[in-house]
Amino acid sequence: MFGMFKNLVGSKMLSHEDLQPVLEKMKEHLVSKNVASDIAQKLCDSVAVKLEGKTLGTFSSISTTVKTALNESCLQILRPRRRVDILRDAMEAKQNRRPYCITFCGVNGVGKSTNLAKICFWLVENGFRVMIAACDTFRAGAVEQLRTHTRKLNALHPPEKHAGQQMVQLYEKGYGKDAAGIAMEAINFARDCHIDVVLVDTAGRMQDNEPLMRALAKLIKVNQPDLVLFVGEALVGNEAVDQLTKFNQALADHSNMTNPRLIDGIILSKFDTIDDKTLLLKFKLKSGSG
Amino acid sequence: MVLADLGRKITSALRSIIDFDEMAGGLNKRRMIQSSVYKELVKLVDPGVKAWQPTKGRNNVIMFVGLQGSGKTTTCTKLAYYYQKKGWRTCLICADTFRAGAFDQLKQNATKARIPFYGSYTEIDPVEIAKEGVDKFKSENFEIIIVDTSGRHKQEDSLFEEMLQVYNNIMPDNVIFVMDASIGQACEAQSKAFKEKVDVGSVIITKLDGHAKGGGALSAVAATKSPVIFIGTGEHIDDFEPFKNMIPGFSSDFLTKGGEQESM
Ligand SMILES: Nc1nc2c(ncn2[C@@H]2O[C@H](COP(=O)(O)OP(=O)(O)OP(=O)(O)O)[C@@H](O)[C@H]2O)c(=O)[nH]1
Ligand SMILES: Nc1nc2c(ncn2[C@@H]2O[C@H](COP(=O)(O)OP(=O)(O)OP(=O)(O)O)[C@@H](O)[C@H]2O)c(=O)[nH]1
Ligand SMILES: [Mg+2]
Ligand SMILES: [Mg+2]
Repeated sequence: MFGMFKNLVGSKMLSHEDLQPVLEKMKEHLVSKNVASDIAQKLCDSVAVKLEGKTLGTFSSISTTVKTALNESCLQILRPRRRVDILRDAMEAKQNRRPYCITFCGVNGVGKSTNLAKICFWLVENGFRVMIAACDTFRAGAVEQLRTHTRKLNALHPPEKHAGQQMVQLYEKGYGKDAAGIAMEAINFARDCHIDVVLVDTAGRMQDNEPLMRALAKLIKVNQPDLVLFVGEALVGNEAVDQLTKFNQALADHSNMTNPRLIDGIILSKFDTIDDKTLLLKFKLKSGSG
Repeated sequence: MVLADLGRKITSALRSIIDFDEMAGGLNKRRMIQSSVYKELVKLVDPGVKAWQPTKGRNNVIMFVGLQGSGKTTTCTKLAYYYQKKGWRTCLICADTFRAGAFDQLKQNATKARIPFYGSYTEIDPVEIAKEGVDKFKSENFEIIIVDTSGRHKQEDSLFEEMLQVYNNIMPDNVIFVMDASIGQACEAQSKAFKEKVDVGSVIITKLDGHAKGGGALSAVAATKSPVIFIGTGEHIDDFEPFKNMIPGFSSDFLTKGGEQESM
C-alpha cells in the first residue's frame, strides 16, 4: 500500500494539494479492505496532518511517517474510552457481598453462549465462583448447551481443587418463561449462596425485531447488570456496525429512563474465520466503548 | 452500493454492463439504473443450472454444511417440515458431535415437528453417526434423509477433512450450503472453499428477517455456482419459503438503501 506515496519523495515541502490524490487512493484502498468509509477518512486525515508541511527526502522516510501516523490513529480508535476491568470490579462486588453480573447479548448465532462459557472459565481460573443464568428460553437446546458447558467447566475445576466448593452452577427454568424474571431469580439466588459472579445468557435477536429488543431492554432495566456485553461476529463486515448501533438505540428507547444502561463492551467472535482483520477498527469507533 | 456490502468486483461488473448512453433521456435515471441492476443481480445468483430435486419413492440423502452459527440445525428442521407437510417420508440425523447441546437442539426441534430423528450422546465420531443414521433410515424406506453437521471454517483443515469424510461415507444426493444473509464479503472465500471440498449443489440463505439484505451474501452465492433454493425469514419452523428467482426485499431493498446513501 505504501507504494502509492512514492511520488511524494522530493526536496520540496508537501502541500495539501500534493497529498490529496494520494490520500484519496489510500482511502479507496482501506475501503476495499472492508474499513467503513468514515473511518477510512479519519485515518487519512490523521496521515495528512503528519505529512503536510514536511519535506521527506527519501521513500523510506515517507513510508515510515505514514506507517507511524496510521499506527497511532488505529491505536487511538481501538483504545477503550472507559476501562473495563472485570476481575477488579468483580472483586469489589464480592467485598460488598453482592454478585457481579454480566449480561451477554447479540444477534442470532454469533457466539454469545460460547463466549459466556469462555469468560466463565477465565473467572473460575481466577478463583471466582460463577452462576450461569439460562435466560435463552426460546432456542431449542439452549439450556442443554449451557448445562454441557457447566459440566465441562466443573470437570476441569473439581471441588477438590477449590476447598470443596462447586465452582460453576447453572440456574435454569426450562423453556418458554420470561427471561428477565429468571435473571432476577438467579441473581437473588447467587446473593443468598454467596456466589461471586452471575453470567446471563440471552436469546439471539435481530436488531430490528422490536418485541424482542423491548424484552432485552426490560431484562437489562430490571436487573441492572454491572456489565452489558455485545457479542459481534467478525465475519459480518459492515453489518456489525448497524447491529451494535441499533442494540444501543433499543436499550435507550425502551428503558424509559433518562440514564439508561447501554452496552459497555464488545466481544468480537469468530476472529479465526477471517483472513483480513480490519473490521475491528470501525466497530470500536462506532461504539465508543471498551 | 459498496455500503450495501456488495463485492467491489461485482459492483464494477454491473457498472460496465449498464450502458448509460443508451438510456432514454426523459426517464428517471435512478429507476432505470435500479431496474437494470436488479435484472443483473437475478442473473448473478442464477448459476444457470437447474436446482436438484428429490425423487419420490426412493431415498434422497441431503447433507447440510456451513459456517458456525449460520443456521444449519434450524434450517434442517424447516426443510424436513416443509417436505413432511407435502407428504414425503422425512427424517433428521444429527452428525454434530462438537457443539454443546447440538443433539438436544435437533431432538427438541424434531420432536416438536413430529419428525423421526437419529443421533447419539455418547458416540464422538460424526462419520459413524452419519453412516449409522443413513443406513437405518434407508432400510426403513425414508424418502428425505437430512444430515446436519457441525459448523466449520476453511482456516481449520481438520474440520474440512472431517466434512469430506462424512461426505464420502454417506454419499449424499445433494449438499446444501447454509449461509447467513448478514455475512460480509469475507464469506466469498469461505463458500468457495466449501464448494471445492464437497460438491455443494444448493444454497439456503438464512436470517433474511434481519437488517442485512444479502448484499454481501450475493458474491458468496455466486462463488458456489449453485442455485439458492430456499430462504429463512425467522426463527420459527415455518419462517421458510422457496426462493423464487428473486425475493422481494432481498435485492430491491438493499439497492434503494445503498443507492440513497451513496450514488453509484
Ligand atoms: N470459529 C469460531 N466459532 C465460534 C466462535 N465462537 C462461537 N463459535 C461457534 O459459533 C456457533 C454458535 O455459537 P453460540 O455460542 O451457540 O452462539 P449464540 O450467539 O449463543 O447463538 P444463539 O443463542 O442461537 O443466538 C457454535 O458452533 C460455536 O461453536 C469463535 O470464536 N470462532
Ligand atoms: N432471525 C433468524 N434467526 C435464525 C434464522 N435461522 C436460524 N436462526 C437462528 O440462528 C441461530 C443459529 O442457528 P443454528 O441452527 O443453531 O445454526 P447452526 O448453523 O446449526 O450452528 P452450529 O451448529 O453451531 O454451526 C439460532 O439462534 C437460530 O434460531 C432465520 O432465518 N432468522
Ligand atoms: Mg446462545
Ligand atoms: Mg447446528
